[in-house]
Amino acid sequence: MSADTLTGGTSSPDTSLPAGAGPVPPRQVRTGATRRPRTGGRRPWARALTVVALTLCAVVFLYPFVWLVSASFKPRSQVFDNALVPRTFTLDNYVAIWQSAPMGLWIANTLLVTVLATAAVTITSAMVAWGFAYYRFPGRNALFGLVLATMMLPGAVTMIPTFMIWNALGQSGTLTPLWAGNLFASAFYVFLLRQFFLGLPRDTFEAAKIDGANDLRLFWSVALPLCRPALVVTALFEAQASWTDLMKPLIYLRDSTTFTIPRGLKAMVDQFGFGGEFHWELIVTASVITTVPMIVLFFVGQRQFVDGIATTGTKG
Amino acid sequence: MSVRRSTTGCGAVLAVALLATGCASGIQPRDDSQVDYSLDVHLSGTLDTMGFGLGDDVATVRDADAERALGHDVHVQMAQGALDTQAFLSAVAAGDPPDLVYASRDDIGSLATQGALLPLDRCLAGSGTDTRQFRPTALAQVTADGHVYGVPEFNQLQLAMASTRLLDRDGLTMADVNGSDWRAMARANEAMTATTGARLDVMGVDAKLPDSFWLWTLANGARPISEDGRTAHLDDPRVVEAVRFAVSLTEPEGGFDRVKAVRDAADLFGEDNPFAAGELGAEPMDNWYVNVLEDVSPDVRLQFDAFRDRRGEPIAFAGGSAWAIPVNAADPQLACRYAVTMTSVQAWEDAARARLAEGTKSGKQFTGLLTANTVADARIERMALDQAAEQGRGGDDQWVQAVRAIYTANEHAVSAPANPAAAEFAKAWQDGVNRVLNGQASPEAAMRDAQRVAQRALDEGWAEQDR
Amino acid sequence: MTTTAGRSTTTGRTGTAVRPGARRAQNRDTRNALLFISPWIVGFLVFTLWPVLQSAWLSMTDYDVLHAARWVGWDNYVELVQDPKVAMSMGNTLLFTVLEVPAHVAVSLALALLLDRAGRASGFFRTVFFLPKMTPAVAVGALFLLVFNGQDGLVNRALALVGIDGPAWTTDPAWVKPGLVVMSLWTVGASVVIFLAALRAVPRDLLESATLDGAGPWARTRSITLPLISPSIFFVTVVSTIAAFQTFTESYTAFFGASSSAYGNDAALFYSIYLFQQGFEYLHMGFASAMAWVLFLVVLVVTLVQVRVSRRLVHYEGGE
Repeated sequence: MSADTLTGGTSSPDTSLPAGAGPVPPRQVRTGATRRPRTGGRRPWARALTVVALTLCAVVFLYPFVWLVSASFKPRSQVFDNALVPRTFTLDNYVAIWQSAPMGLWIANTLLVTVLATAAVTITSAMVAWGFAYYRFPGRNALFGLVLATMMLPGAVTMIPTFMIWNALGQSGTLTPLWAGNLFASAFYVFLLRQFFLGLPRDTFEAAKIDGANDLRLFWSVALPLCRPALVVTALFEAQASWTDLMKPLIYLRDSTTFTIPRGLKAMVDQFGFGGEFHWELIVTASVITTVPMIVLFFVGQRQFVDGIATTGTKG
Repeated sequence: MSVRRSTTGCGAVLAVALLATGCASGIQPRDDSQVDYSLDVHLSGTLDTMGFGLGDDVATVRDADAERALGHDVHVQMAQGALDTQAFLSAVAAGDPPDLVYASRDDIGSLATQGALLPLDRCLAGSGTDTRQFRPTALAQVTADGHVYGVPEFNQLQLAMASTRLLDRDGLTMADVNGSDWRAMARANEAMTATTGARLDVMGVDAKLPDSFWLWTLANGARPISEDGRTAHLDDPRVVEAVRFAVSLTEPEGGFDRVKAVRDAADLFGEDNPFAAGELGAEPMDNWYVNVLEDVSPDVRLQFDAFRDRRGEPIAFAGGSAWAIPVNAADPQLACRYAVTMTSVQAWEDAARARLAEGTKSGKQFTGLLTANTVADARIERMALDQAAEQGRGGDDQWVQAVRAIYTANEHAVSAPANPAAAEFAKAWQDGVNRVLNGQASPEAAMRDAQRVAQRALDEGWAEQDR
Repeated sequence: MTTTAGRSTTTGRTGTAVRPGARRAQNRDTRNALLFISPWIVGFLVFTLWPVLQSAWLSMTDYDVLHAARWVGWDNYVELVQDPKVAMSMGNTLLFTVLEVPAHVAVSLALALLLDRAGRASGFFRTVFFLPKMTPAVAVGALFLLVFNGQDGLVNRALALVGIDGPAWTTDPAWVKPGLVVMSLWTVGASVVIFLAALRAVPRDLLESATLDGAGPWARTRSITLPLISPSIFFVTVVSTIAAFQTFTESYTAFFGASSSAYGNDAALFYSIYLFQQGFEYLHMGFASAMAWVLFLVVLVVTLVQVRVSRRLVHYEGGE
């Protein structure tokens, strides 16, 4: 088995945390052979039980969101009446949102930041993870340990100094600090992707090298496509994190035309708080508007990585 | 690693450390002695504000006045939403603060004592603004070291509000629940409260703790902090007594757990609000709630009065907002003009007229605007009462009663003094009161601990400033 | 040629002899590796190391942003040790972590195992489970107070259906943390996705031959699936421990964020919240930096302990 893995058999269990531990240890990534048979073949009642259990859990997970959606269609006086189906159904909130806040702008800003952040972090984290997975060099494990240690750093430690750096670069008040930090990879995704790379069979790369591929080619044209599922997972997680992030917009953005959706939402909540008149019906509506694109993205994306696992790989 | 690598490593660390000492050097205050603040100077540039929001007509009308005063060569940029300390501090730390900030007077007072704000003497004198027209208590909140640091805007205080139906049903009157007689209040609470098993159906009197701590303390003739803002009095026996009494009102209601659960689930801004739904007898509540009630449940019969201290005199705890200029702001000239125009009598009158028009259209009574400006207050009160006469409302009309209650309380309101440890002081008494509410400590023990923490915070805070 | 049976990662010290060509190849490898890793290195130096050093220095000063930082040496750390709220908030955080992490791993694993069997419908369910992670924090905080409301909340109403008198989740100090734990379980979606990916990689032939040998579903799970995905379990445990130690948003939005209420609850004061208050509400930046460093050390120690323990429990793929 060890001959198959990338590191030449040394996932180094004798060194610390970094090696071996990981989210996706695809031992053998093969076509066909690992494709699972359609479930429910042998025990239909077991499958039914599974679906029932899942449905129950789904209800628990879905209920709060259903409540939000339902509340967004209610007039202000009924928002908290706990009725799942609105007594009075109204679209006024959605209209009001577009009128009382520059939602279009906010969505555009958030979209821009999310796309850039996701693309940046996925590519650079893959690069860095590849560096750690494919190559062997002195101090590799120590350096990777350092990468992991940065994951444990509380955000508060670096917040103000980081702001001062961006400000010195003249970027405070712009959208740049919200995504440009991702140009330098992220420890979490480096960890995740490295584990994935470690599981890819070495022979593939040997074969490509014999065919004359240089190192960059190996990475870009051979390794990356093979780990598409992990890349999709990375992209989905980062998209979600970026879309819903409040902390960075809070610190860097000043003008409401540059706001992202979470920042705009907060401004709405606080603003109305002054006269004590919380317009909760607008807030829940904005929450729904914010979440729906992510749902769509996720639904589309997760099918990608599931199918991806079954179809990538070479004959092992 | 090679030797070369480790020396470069050390060198880098050293350089970084040296650089680090260079940063975090505090802010460079601006000298505004050359700035001309008079109102007829032509202005241009960009005004950067933080902490304000154009959420309602009172704000937009005045903002229109202010932008007109600034002139069309000035662009106003607003980071809308309540002042976020992180965002503000990050901006200040980086030497790029907004020109104008808007925050609660507690925050402004705190920032003033910490040296973060520009003294407004020149701004106020140059623009011809007479500080005597501001309410003394409001002005005191933003004054430190004899200098004014903020332009007060709005006054917010409590009123006693009660449901006529519930009062009548048990043969009670407003005098029983407006705080002038604590024993009567306890009795009224027991009479009006209704429970089914463990379920709280009707709250007789909601003492509104912990938010109303100051009110109850003042009603008992004590102050949580001295007028100069240096000494805490949280363990004063009268303070402890006030806390004990207010907490005791939750007992017939099933304990604070029940009360909080009911409060959280209440549809405060809806047509099923606690008064309308007959679930609340009486409470001391913020004056803006009157507008909400008139808006969503105008037909519910209510009674309003100023909250009273134990001698029967009106009392209220007032807070509000203020405009201020950071000490290293780039454009204090623009900031000053905007702030003084927003709070001018003219602007307030314009806003009140807009509200009045709204009221006349919908047949509702305009319940006034508390501006923290005595001249404006008097004029607007007059406007409200005139409208009442126009709409044929008599003195026993509940909304007229509300107007009178609001303005009476306004005359007798007390505010917290400016102090550099405002946040910590507030947290100290909040922790004390919350511990009693959550059943974790007795009033004496909790307030004794609170006193210790508060006094220490105040001492350290003032020591920093006096340094 | 590089796929040897070597066990060590240091240069050249394995079974193979070192040839001059090999050293040049090694140097080239090192250079290429560092090239690939360079984005992270740059980011680390500028956005991690520098701020970390500055904050370490800050932790030894009295700094309130508005005035120059004043050196105080170890004073902040001494004060930290003596501050009862620091101990209390750390205790709250530890308790929360101890409750939340096992629950988190168990629930997300259970859901992933269920999803693994669901076949075609799993796409829909997967989205449902990930949904809470995409909901804005403001909404989640408000929902907590509503759903866990002691008198009329959904949770207590459901409990009442089975005859249990539900506790006051939002005010009773004994139940605040369990309530927050349950609420945080709502966002296990990410871990479910990770586990699902790992489960999908478990080779079918192993499971099939076990079935043929007569092993029931539980036995298969216990003896084959779990060990094979143990690296993922370890990963999720470590990551969610680190996250639990820094827990902030949920509790803050539910208990401390509402600017119009003075209500607070000691049981919900987590370390990060107190850190935030010290730094951004009281402007004790130096003290807050010291708190951040203490947190970092605690998390580091805990993670190292977990690594130690994992050596015996986690089945490493390439390591046998």
